[in-house]
Amino acid sequence: MDSNEDIAVNRISKELVNQISVVIRTSQIHDPNNVAVSALIDKMISMINGLLAYEQMISIELRGDFFYVNDSRIRYTLEYLLNFEYLVQEFKKRELGAVLFRGKVAPDDIQVFVRAFIASGSSQKPFEAIEDKLITVKSLSVDRLKHIVEKNSFEPRKMVKKTYFNAVSFTKGVINKIKSGEKVNIRKAKRVVETMVDQILEQEQLLLGMTAIKDYDEYTYHHSVNVSVLSIALGQRLGLNRKLLTELGIVAIFHDIGKMDIPYDILNKPTNFTEDEWKIIRKHPVWGVKALLKLKKLDDVTIRSAIVAFEHHMNFDLTGYPKLRKNLQLDFFSRIISLADQYDAMTSSRVYSRIPLSPDKALSIMMERANAQLDPLLLKFFVNMVGVFPIGTMVMLNTKELGLVYESNQLFASRPRVMIIIDKEGRRIKGTVVDLAEKNDQGTFARTIVRTMDPNKYKINLAEYLL
Amino acid sequence: MQVSEDIRKAKDIIQVILKSRKILRMYPENNPMYINTLQENYGKLKDYFFYKDELTLAIKQNEILYEGEQVYHSAEKEDNFALFFFKDGLREISFKKGLPADELEAFIKIISLDFNRDVMDDDIVTLFWERDFQKIQYVVDELILSDDEEYEEKAVQEVKEKAATDDDILRAYEEAFRETEQVKDASIVPLVDKDLQMLLKELDEDSADKTTKLFDILFEIIHLSENREDYEDLADFFRNAIEFTTGRGDLYLLNVIMGRLHEVAENRDFSEEIRTFARRVMLFAGSEPIITLIGEVLDGGQETDEKVLDDFLKHLERSSIVPFMKILGELKSIHARKFVIDALIFLGNKDIAILAKGLSDTRWYVVRNIIYILRKIGDKRAVDYLLKTVKHGDVRVKKEVIRTLGELGGAGVLQALRDCLDDADAQVRSSALKSLSNMGSEAAKRIILNKINDKPFKAKEFEEKKEFFEAITRWKDDEVYNLLISALKQNVLFGRAKNYEVRACAAFALGFMGRRECLPLLQKYRGDGNKLFREAVVGATRRLEHGQ
Repeated sequence: MDSNEDIAVNRISKELVNQISVVIRTSQIHDPNNVAVSALIDKMISMINGLLAYEQMISIELRGDFFYVNDSRIRYTLEYLLNFEYLVQEFKKRELGAVLFRGKVAPDDIQVFVRAFIASGSSQKPFEAIEDKLITVKSLSVDRLKHIVEKNSFEPRKMVKKTYFNAVSFTKGVINKIKSGEKVNIRKAKRVVETMVDQILEQEQLLLGMTAIKDYDEYTYHHSVNVSVLSIALGQRLGLNRKLLTELGIVAIFHDIGKMDIPYDILNKPTNFTEDEWKIIRKHPVWGVKALLKLKKLDDVTIRSAIVAFEHHMNFDLTGYPKLRKNLQLDFFSRIISLADQYDAMTSSRVYSRIPLSPDKALSIMMERANAQLDPLLLKFFVNMVGVFPIGTMVMLNTKELGLVYESNQLFASRPRVMIIIDKEGRRIKGTVVDLAEKNDQGTFARTIVRTMDPNKYKINLAEYLL
Repeated sequence: MQVSEDIRKAKDIIQVILKSRKILRMYPENNPMYINTLQENYGKLKDYFFYKDELTLAIKQNEILYEGEQVYHSAEKEDNFALFFFKDGLREISFKKGLPADELEAFIKIISLDFNRDVMDDDIVTLFWERDFQKIQYVVDELILSDDEEYEEKAVQEVKEKAATDDDILRAYEEAFRETEQVKDASIVPLVDKDLQMLLKELDEDSADKTTKLFDILFEIIHLSENREDYEDLADFFRNAIEFTTGRGDLYLLNVIMGRLHEVAENRDFSEEIRTFARRVMLFAGSEPIITLIGEVLDGGQETDEKVLDDFLKHLERSSIVPFMKILGELKSIHARKFVIDALIFLGNKDIAILAKGLSDTRWYVVRNIIYILRKIGDKRAVDYLLKTVKHGDVRVKKEVIRTLGELGGAGVLQALRDCLDDADAQVRSSALKSLSNMGSEAAKRIILNKINDKPFKAKEFEEKKEFFEAITRWKDDEVYNLLISALKQNVLFGRAKNYEVRACAAFALGFMGRRECLPLLQKYRGDGNKLFREAVVGATRRLEHGQ
């Protein structure tokens, strides 16, 4: 099979998943017999049968948050985002892991499936409900959703850790090299960020988890990498391609490069800054531009880095600093990195304000800053990405267990996965991760967050649990 | 397939890849050698995949292994295929069954690049990554990216030392029960179609080139600069950005930037330091590196709005004359040359002496272009320089300079043109004649008349004599008229053929004089026995009768 055919198959597969989503969405409003739905079903059938002409079976499987058609992951663009996310959510709600088509699919078969799918939404046991209805349909069957097995999570976590610390170590090296006027290896920077991009695409939650750990001595380097990780993750949500994500990641790593010229005493001052010290702090965006433009021959990434270094403390309404003579429209990357920068700075303890905030509090402050300081559209995507309870949030559950948010749930924002650190008996435990989306036998959620708390107040060290 | 047979095939494949790498470095894509080697490579792999699903090569520093057996070895530092991959962290490469030809080609293209060049910002792994191969997989050791191999261990250790005590955690637990504030409802606003539409618009806008934005920032930084060092740095940044913009062929932006710099330079509200800075940067935009780039861009066939180019020229100083002259002889396209000539016509006026230096260029076509430019400028100060070029060895240059001198006039020109009338080359003589005629002065007329009256004139070729008579009709006065009548009537005993030629020329010229009183005389010769003369008379008569 040549690559053009590969591209065509991927396109058809993507359109097929999209079409299934459209059919189900429309069927939530109209009966599958309705002409509006039957036309959509006909189109879906022609796609399936088109593929079945070459393959004995077509399986559309949900693994994690991604669809796979016959084991090939379907990469989709922004235009498909809502339909794909909707379908992921609907599959997960029903514990539905895969739909398998074989032989020749007829409109009646799809109608049975769609009816079963819609009806199962209100069932206590939705997957079984669908399965029962499909017994008589030969061309179509379903599989239960397979949960990612926890025991396999060790290796990816190890890889993510390595990637993260490589990035920090690299950033430290780069900043020191720039300080001493040495040549910087931009090829290495690309490699470091490419690995982060790969991790974000495959292990987003794990890498985001690394950014939640804040107690390192070398704040500057960790902050640069955290901003890069958060920016790449947001960029991915915004539909940027891998190349642009790499560019964004590199630009983010260098966003604060101007700070290296701020005297150490000021940068690490334990008390509030004086007005004169603020004057120096406010110069770092311009110093950043200078450092970057001296770094290497001008190219697109250097230009973008310089722009972001200059703009990252400018607000959405163009207040902030540096003060401009002529209004500019803030760069798209600047607005992304501004969000990541503010979030990471607010949740860290070595920033100008000196008051570290819990992730959920930082998020709520950021939401108040929408329109004035932050781009409201991008913030919406950002909040959707980190969730209502971002990784690292300390939460009290209705089961009297105390835990730390371990992984966000993209579909049920209020139901993340939580690592329990104190059990309901008040005993300190370590390492048990629970999914708040899980239901008990009565069909109600087994655990629910009742309040959030500030982990900094109690010196709770996320590293102990996440590393 | 036997194991030994596998190894032989793997060795073979590596050798073919190495051969292809060499060929791809030497030949363009459409060359048969290029095409054949890729086909050979593809064939070898296809043959291998007939028996096996995967070809996995383990990369060591000096060797490549296939199923634990060495299939390539080199201890060289320079031309070591194993080291080539190894140094960028590649530790394993696998080719999978179903490998498409275009993917294989892309792979070989990447490994054929010269990664030793400083301008290459990507290493081999980045290029593999960007290409996003489907059937070629690779394993990379990321440790080479770390500047400190023990960093992870140290950082983790250090952060874990800060772990909370049991007391802290239990205190948190106790206080959790005392907290009265319940968790708020989820405040995530779901994304809707409108958000996606807005995002698409943002992404679309974001795809625009960022250089304009960089300039916006540099212009802002002008006003944030505080000392000499700041301005020095900033000047460098502007220069680099201007060079980058020009190299990309964005002459529109270059022009906009020049306009903005001009505004800064002319704004009296700004400090003299800022205004001087702006002028310095503008000078750079007209310097040799930039002008050379502009030439390359235009020569590359890029269509550029003439107004943009004209506006750009308005911002340049005379220091740009030399760079423009330098590229004049290098350019290949008419479009590019026209721009440079127009540029020199515009700028040359600022310093004729510098422009005239181009007359010493060793390339005849450059000299001719400079003469043309001087003529278009029309400044009589150029005459002194041009007179020195009259004796140029190339006829094409001579013709151009004669024409130009004729148009410019001035001291010394008549003498030079008179000398040219005696030049050995007929084209030069003809040009000089035309120039004298165009000058239209009494002195010029006298030179032509004297030539016609010279004894040797009759001996010239008919066409040249005709040119002289035609030239003299520029002056439609009695002296010329009488000369023509006299020549028309002239009969001789000897050299009749040459005399008839002169008479025919006179008749021809009378036709141009527009004086109908000569018609009776012309009528008289309508039946003359000499065909050449007779035809000239008939033609002139017709011209006069019809008032042409």
